[in-house]
Formats: sequence, C-alpha cells, structure tokens
Amino acid sequence: MITAGIDVGSLSTDAVLMRDKEVLAYCIINTGAAARAAAERAFEQVLSAAGLQASDVDAVIATGYGRMSVSFADSQVTEISCHGRGAAWLSPAVRTVIDIGGQDSKAIRVDGQGNVVDFLMNDKCAAGTGRFLEVMALRLEVALEDMGREDQQAARAAQISSMCTVFAESEVVSLIAQGVPRPEIVRGLHRSIAERTGGLAGRLGLAPEVMMTGGVAKNQGVVRALSEKLGVKITLPPEPQIVGALGAAIIAQHKHARLSV
Amino acid sequence: MTSNTAGETMDFESLMHNMLRDRRRWNRVLSSPLTYITFGGLIRLTRGNWPLDAMYRMGLFAFNEIGRAFTGKAPVVWSSAFFPVELAWSLDLCPFSPEVAAAYIAGLGFGEETLTMGEQAGYSRDICSFHRCIAGAAAAGNLPRPAALLASTLLCDGAPLLFQGMAALYDAPLLVLDVPYDSGPDAEHYVAGQLEQVWLNLAELTGRRPDRARLAETVQHSEEFRVQMQRVSDLRCRVPAPVSGNDLLGFIYLFFVGQGSREAAAISTSLAKEIERRVAGLGKRGQPGRRPEKFRLLWMHLKPYYSEELMKFVDQEGAVLAMEEFNHIYWPPLDPQQPFLSLARKTLSHFAFKPVTERIRVMEDLARRYQVDGIVHFSHQGCRQSCGGALMIKEALQEKGWPVLILEGDCVDGRNEACAGMLTRMQAFLEILQDRKRMEAAG
Repeated sequence: MITAGIDVGSLSTDAVLMRDKEVLAYCIINTGAAARAAAERAFEQVLSAAGLQASDVDAVIATGYGRMSVSFADSQVTEISCHGRGAAWLSPAVRTVIDIGGQDSKAIRVDGQGNVVDFLMNDKCAAGTGRFLEVMALRLEVALEDMGREDQQAARAAQISSMCTVFAESEVVSLIAQGVPRPEIVRGLHRSIAERTGGLAGRLGLAPEVMMTGGVAKNQGVVRALSEKLGVKITLPPEPQIVGALGAAIIAQHKHARLSV
Repeated sequence: MTSNTAGETMDFESLMHNMLRDRRRWNRVLSSPLTYITFGGLIRLTRGNWPLDAMYRMGLFAFNEIGRAFTGKAPVVWSSAFFPVELAWSLDLCPFSPEVAAAYIAGLGFGEETLTMGEQAGYSRDICSFHRCIAGAAAAGNLPRPAALLASTLLCDGAPLLFQGMAALYDAPLLVLDVPYDSGPDAEHYVAGQLEQVWLNLAELTGRRPDRARLAETVQHSEEFRVQMQRVSDLRCRVPAPVSGNDLLGFIYLFFVGQGSREAAAISTSLAKEIERRVAGLGKRGQPGRRPEKFRLLWMHLKPYYSEELMKFVDQEGAVLAMEEFNHIYWPPLDPQQPFLSLARKTLSHFAFKPVTERIRVMEDLARRYQVDGIVHFSHQGCRQSCGGALMIKEALQEKGWPVLILEGDCVDGRNEACAGMLTRMQAFLEILQDRKRMEAAG
C-alpha cells in the first residue's frame, strides 16, 4: 500500500511517501504565501523522487495548519495526532513528544500504539517557537542553522528574562550594546525557549521516553537546554522536521486498510 | 425562514446582520426600542427555521423584554448573573442582564468596537470581556438606564465591582447580595435576611408596593421553571441526544433573566414537551436529517458568542453536547411560602461556590449520567473562578477515565483568538475520542 502524508506548516511544507513500512521519499520545502501550491509542489517532488504517479498512491492525509487547503488529500488529521503517531513509529518507547514548529509548540503524550492520550499546545504567542529564533537570528546576524554551533562556543548563558518575543528582542539589543559575546546571548535565548517549552511539558506531565520533533529540534543548543531543564534525555529522530508528515502517511495506511476491509 | 429580493432564503441571523450592516448607525440602532420590535418581527417571520420552537419563543420573550427596557415604561433593574432575579419580577420591574446583553452584542458583531470603548473607558484588557463589553456599551449609551442595580458576590467577583462603576455612571443605587462561602442554616438565614431587605429597598427605590402574595406567585413560577428544566435534563439522558446542547446554551437568557417570570415557566414547559415529543419519535439512529452522533460531550462553562465557528465545527464532526454545566439544575425545590429562605438555599447550593472537589463530583455525576465520551472545559479568559480549578478538574476526571480538554478562549472578545488554533485543539481532542472508540471496538 502506498500512502502520502503532507504537513503544511507555517514555515515549511513537508511530504512523506511510504510503501507499507518503508519511507520511499520525503521532501521539505518552504510554504511561502500559497499553502495549496506548496502542498502540490511537495507531493509532486516526492512522487518524482520515488518515480511514481499520483494515481499510484492509495491514500493521502494532510496535516498542519494548512491541512484544509490540500484539496487532493483524502482526509485531514491534526498535527497533534500525526506527530504522536510518527514519533511512536520511529521509537515505540516514546511516551512524550515535544514539537516546536514555526509558529507554535506542543507537548503530546502518547500510548504504546502512538495514540494521543493528552496534549497541550501554545499558539498564543511566538515565544518558544521557531519564529522566536528567526527574529533573534536576524537581530544577531547569525544564520538560523548556525545557532546550535554558536551556542557551543559560549562559556555561559546571558540572562534573557522576557518571554515575549518583542521584549526579548529589546533585551538582546541591550546585551549587544553591553558587549556580551554573541554565543552567550544565543545560549540565553535557547534557555529561554527551554524554560517556556519545559513549562508546557511539565504541565502535561512528562513520561519518558521523550522525543523532540519539528524544525527547532535541529538546533542542538535548544535540545541541550531543554534536556537540562527537563532532566531527561531527549531522543531525536533522523529528520525531526518530517515527523508530522510521516505520521500522516502512517495514519493514511491505517485508515485505508480499515476502509478496504 | 423568509426570502429576500433575490429569492434567497434567509434565517433570522442573516436578516438581523443585514439590518445592522450600516455600522455607523449601530450606536443609535442598539438603544432604540424600535430595533427590538423589528427583531421580534423578524423572529416571527423565521419561526419555522429555529431548531426548537422554544428557542423561537425565548427569542421573542428576550427581545420583547429588552425593547421594554429601552421604552422606560417600567423601571429597569440591572441584575448580575446568579442574582435571584425573582425579586425584580415580583415587583413588576423590568430586569435586565448586562452580561447577556454583552453576549448579544458580540453575537450581533459589535463586540470589537464595544470592547474597545470599554477599554477606552479605563477597563483593562485583563478584565472579563463580558464586563469590558458592558462598560463599553454603557459608555456608548447602548444600555437601558437602570433605576437600580442588583449584584451578587456568588462566583463572579468582578460583577459587583463593575456594577459599582456603573452605579456611579448612571447615578443609580447599587444593592449587593453578599453570599458567604459556607452553607448551613446560619448562612441561609444571613442570605435570606439580605434578600428580604433588598426586596424592600428595591420596592422603595422604584416606587412599587411590596406584595408578598405576588412574591409567592413569582417563586412559584421559578419553581415551575426548575421542575420543567429538570424534566428537560432527564429527557436528555437519552442516547442519541434528542436535542443539541449548543442550542440549549442559548437559554442562558432564561437562567439569568427569566427565572420567576410567567413566560420562563411557560417556555420551559413548552421546551420539555417538545423534547418529550422528540424522544417519543426518536429512532435508534437519532433524529432524521441530523448527523449520526459520534461523540457525546459534557461542556463546562459557556461558549464563544462572537463566532459560531467552533460550535459549528463540533456539530459537523458529529459531536453532540450531551449536557452542559450551565444547564444543570443544581438547586433544591423552592417553597413559595418561604420565598426568601428558598432563594437563599438556591443561591447557596451552587456547586461551583464550594471547594473544587464539589464541582468535580457534580461533573463526574453528569458525565456518568449522560454517558459522555469526553469533557470540554471552555476556559473563558476573564472567568478566574472557573479557570482556576480547571487543571484540578481535568486531572480528577482523567483519573476516572474521561479525556478532558481545557479549551482556552473567550466568550465575547475574539480579537485575541486564532480560531484555527482552537479548531485544531478541538479536532485533536475528537481524534483522541475516536482512537479510544476504535480501541474499545477492537477489544
């Protein structure tokens, strides 16, 4: 059975193509201003990489904030269920998933089958999300993907007390003016995200194994800060950004199998 | 339902929005009795389009009363939520609930500008949006002038303070009912004594003659309302649900304003009969034409009134509000011969004005009785008394086996909400319920 999962996020659109338990292809592209076009483009890319046609695909599930705009999907499932299912498929011992995406963050508790048991989601403000890091990277003139490396060079973390992105940016400006080394500011920012996300996970109730998903999980500085904050080892998937799309493709398999019976 | 010039059928809501589309005139429109007479006419035109005939009757009653408040024919008395409004009916006054008015203002699409006016009047955005909206509507001159204001300290601490500000604004007397946290005979006599004093003061302030026979009659109407709404609650135990709880959340007007009136007693009787007929005609698959019932929910607190999007989504997903915290009849029978003591007992028996364990116990009973699959606590941002215990409620009910969603939102202020986020939370919660059903079915 061939299925596809399309995760239309605020910053990136990710697609995963699966045949039974094998991932045939995946891609990560920018969502840009047109969610529907991004979904179509991502779908075309994974089909092309696997040498398949759309007609070869038995079922497509769309997820992410733009899930409703994916007209070619058979159904839409929330990113909460998809991240839970994807994470549990990658590591069946996972019981807590922390997903930090472009515009929100989530703590998700799953059972042994990857079913979501409970969740908490922060989408009220940019604090603790990928957007927060983007704004700060711009202000610090450091590439987003280099922030993890920058953090490793820090002797200590600068104090960033504000949770709000706008206020935290002002603090960063002051720290730059005081001559605080950039790596220390970066580490301070990572701690700030860990503080925020750790609170969310703590409210949900943390159960090991903990896996981190979403684009921000590629930043080793955030992962380390969060691991220290929570006092647990954090498992990282090989490609954290596609876990939602992966989960969608897996759910598509289950749904299609049930419908075919 | 009626037709416009293009031949399209329109429901009451669309007709009302069309009428109010010139936003420059909303200020004058909302405070004119003519508006409510017109609304009444629109309601009559759309009678067949209401999900329940009792809703149609309640709409007529509500707009008639709001219109009456603006005519100034009877002294208007503002009454805060949970104040025993029976006292006002017994003196043939015109009770007016500004909290319900705030919900109507939000529903009519005027929440945003009214809230902004409230904030400009000095009410912080951290204050309950019902109250900010009231302050804004008052500043705009959109609320009927009160002859007196009645506020209760039951549950909502903000209302007596807001009413103090409103009393100063309108230069009208404020009568506050102080409800103690403890119950028992002493508390009952303390509250009953205050109620009698408020009743006498109110009569004097409004030039009405305090008539104990009329008071007994009013309490009798209130008791009829209680009995009929209890009958409605009993009928709603039926699976599939005979009625949408979302529709019944619209009966907030009867709960906050109607109790003690002849009309509220009659409307609740007609509602009970209507549901009884439905139950008699219901097949195992539910009402013809309705979506199959996939999930049964217990709904805590209220809902967004500024937008129907969330509740429409719930309905589209096949989830039914099997029971709502606000529609639960929690108080004991009222004795018309002991009006003040009865109303005191009613006031003191509110399950949420006790340690949170009592609210948990009541919700657990309701969850069992109505065989719900999950529980949603709608956390209205300004309602500290409700939100404060939400996490404890969630943990306790989860321990008993029900999935619980704390859905953070606002009843009146839509400016701070990303609707997509709220729908995602709701959809994810329904996915949890779906997975549980699938696993149960698989054994």
